[in-house]
Amino acid sequence: MKRKLLSVLMTAAVCASLMAGCAAAGTAAPAADAAPAKEAAAEEAEAPAEEAADAEAPAADASGATYALVTKSAGNPFMERMASGFQEAIEGAGGTVVIQNPESATPDAQIPVIQSLISQGVSSIAVDGNDANALSAVLAEAKDAGIKILTLDSDVAPDSRTVYCNQAGVQQIGQTLMDAVYDLTGGEGQYAILSATSQATNQNAWIDAMKAISEADSKYAKIELVEVAYGDDEPQKSTDQTQALLQNYPDLKVICAPTTVGIAAAAKVLQDQGSSVKLTGLGLPSEMAEYIGDDDAHSCPYMYLWNPIDLGRLAGYTSMALVDGSITGAAGDSFTAGDLGDYTIEEIDGSTQIILGPPFKFDPSNIDDWKTVY
Amino acid sequence: MAGKSGREISAVPENGLKSKILSWEGALVLILIAVNILGVSISPNYTANNVFREMPRYLAETFMLFGMGYILVLGDIDISVGALVCLSGTIAVLASNAGAPFILTVLICLLVGLLGGMLNGIIATKFTELPTMIVTLGTQIIFRGIAEVLFETWGNGGGTASMADTKGLMLLAKRIGPFPIAFFCVIIVGAVMITILAKTTFGRKIYAIGSNKTAAYYAGIEVERIRFICYSILGLLAGVCALFLLTATFGSNTTTGQGFEMEVIAMCVFGGIATTGGKGNLIGGFIAAFIIVCLRIALGQRNINTQLILVIIGLMLIVSVLVPSISSALAARKKKRSA
Repeated sequence: MKRKLLSVLMTAAVCASLMAGCAAAGTAAPAADAAPAKEAAAEEAEAPAEEAADAEAPAADASGATYALVTKSAGNPFMERMASGFQEAIEGAGGTVVIQNPESATPDAQIPVIQSLISQGVSSIAVDGNDANALSAVLAEAKDAGIKILTLDSDVAPDSRTVYCNQAGVQQIGQTLMDAVYDLTGGEGQYAILSATSQATNQNAWIDAMKAISEADSKYAKIELVEVAYGDDEPQKSTDQTQALLQNYPDLKVICAPTTVGIAAAAKVLQDQGSSVKLTGLGLPSEMAEYIGDDDAHSCPYMYLWNPIDLGRLAGYTSMALVDGSITGAAGDSFTAGDLGDYTIEEIDGSTQIILGPPFKFDPSNIDDWKTVY
Repeated sequence: MAGKSGREISAVPENGLKSKILSWEGALVLILIAVNILGVSISPNYTANNVFREMPRYLAETFMLFGMGYILVLGDIDISVGALVCLSGTIAVLASNAGAPFILTVLICLLVGLLGGMLNGIIATKFTELPTMIVTLGTQIIFRGIAEVLFETWGNGGGTASMADTKGLMLLAKRIGPFPIAFFCVIIVGAVMITILAKTTFGRKIYAIGSNKTAAYYAGIEVERIRFICYSILGLLAGVCALFLLTATFGSNTTTGQGFEMEVIAMCVFGGIATTGGKGNLIGGFIAAFIIVCLRIALGQRNINTQLILVIIGLMLIVSVLVPSISSALAARKKKRSA
């Protein structure tokens, strides 16, 4: 009979000590460890794991602030790079970092994570939103608790957060792509754009920006945009559209694809056909590595995308600036984000944003380092 | 048999304080206390106020636990409820955005859940040769499919729909003292559902069907009618779950309710309800739900990797199912030695 009771207690103890062990394995914990030795309810003495828990960083940092980052999901290389940048920026300044991945890539899974951070009384939470509106209730609660809220990568509803760290502004993307077209055409000739769908918000904004830029500066006068084709972000349709462009415009010099699906499809077509048409745009290094090169055997001399590490660092510096009060999140506020330089909060379409900067360039010199990243 | 846990860890005669403590439910209470002691000792933020503040998101699922308990005791299973939560929530959001007042939105949310449950019930009782796992797998896909079509047509784009007027929801999300309204609702619904299963003829019939469906049928129990009612109840509770989930998310999206069915089944099994039917009671499931919720909150406050928390809960589930086998093996060895 006693044995039965024992087995019950053992279950409890096993569970408890398991958790103690896991506490050590978890990410940096800010909690002040009041009485770690008491844990596991002291029912059983199977405690090697507990010592590890003791060794953990005990209390909040001297600077007193804890900065949290909530990513979209675990096991995502882009998120991991972003988190490493965030951590580097804040730990470099002596702050404490908490990085939490939700158990799945859904807003529902982000809610309990944020709830828990509110309980812990962190100073700021940077969120990469899985949904624009689903987090508004929990973020309002965080705000009421005096926590500074910012977003990065994917924004949430503007009134739920103070400021959004945008990876790249529309204007900058337009300018960068236009300059790439200028460079690849040699300043004159025909180029075409291979976009996603005809109603894709991002792509349309970038294409409009490119058109506006080329009209505004006589430098681009000799470059002619012959067509904007839509591959609907489907590999097959993007392939067909690329082939149609090659057929219809024999003098075509450059294709610019501001979408990761389109650029990959076009790169394959051009490279397989040994075409002299050159390609640039926005692409994923992992998908584009085999097409990037300066010689004729490769179809894409260089392309762009954002740098997740810098985005994380910018969010880290922004978090610290919000917490120490050097910015309030109002448009016009400016601060220094370490070696990233000076940033100013801008008001874009009625919401406050900080724009990381021009997109990051991937060329033959760095593609090998990045192709394994994301 | 009714009310007896599906998991026996003691050979002590019925009744008496000792047997109560040594029952599975007694063990669960001890574990719940242990989890809370653990919470307090590993996190300085593990206070009643914080725990109850973090609870509502998890409490929403707990409503379905009671309905799922009935279905499992029947010897059936329903894996469509996660998708049904999504569908109920979505239609409620769209109705509200189309101008329905809050009270009507609530009714629509519950009604959609009820209708979904009734659909499960009709298919499961009219085509008794079909395994219920397959029936509800089908309806799971249908429910989520309908929700996705609705998102495309009337949603906010990108597979989401969010409620414009959230005043009513904020009212439901309020707290009385430290306790969220959802907490009181769970207690009330739980008390009613536990009493029905344990104390009424209806409840005993459910156990009878779960133990031996054919025998129950020949004993004059309206097997299919009772099964239909149980599916409908679970559907209605999925609607309740959707409603309380909305108080946390103010909207619905394609991933809403994903995996809820399995989490709820896990709570039931951890609570001692046998998936083979006829055994277990809801009190165990109820305590188990709070063990899992408190554990998640405690570990979450220590910023333990969320995936690791899932691993721990999975391990606990397996250990809990193994305990009876281990203890009976121990008992057998003891007997052998003394012989």
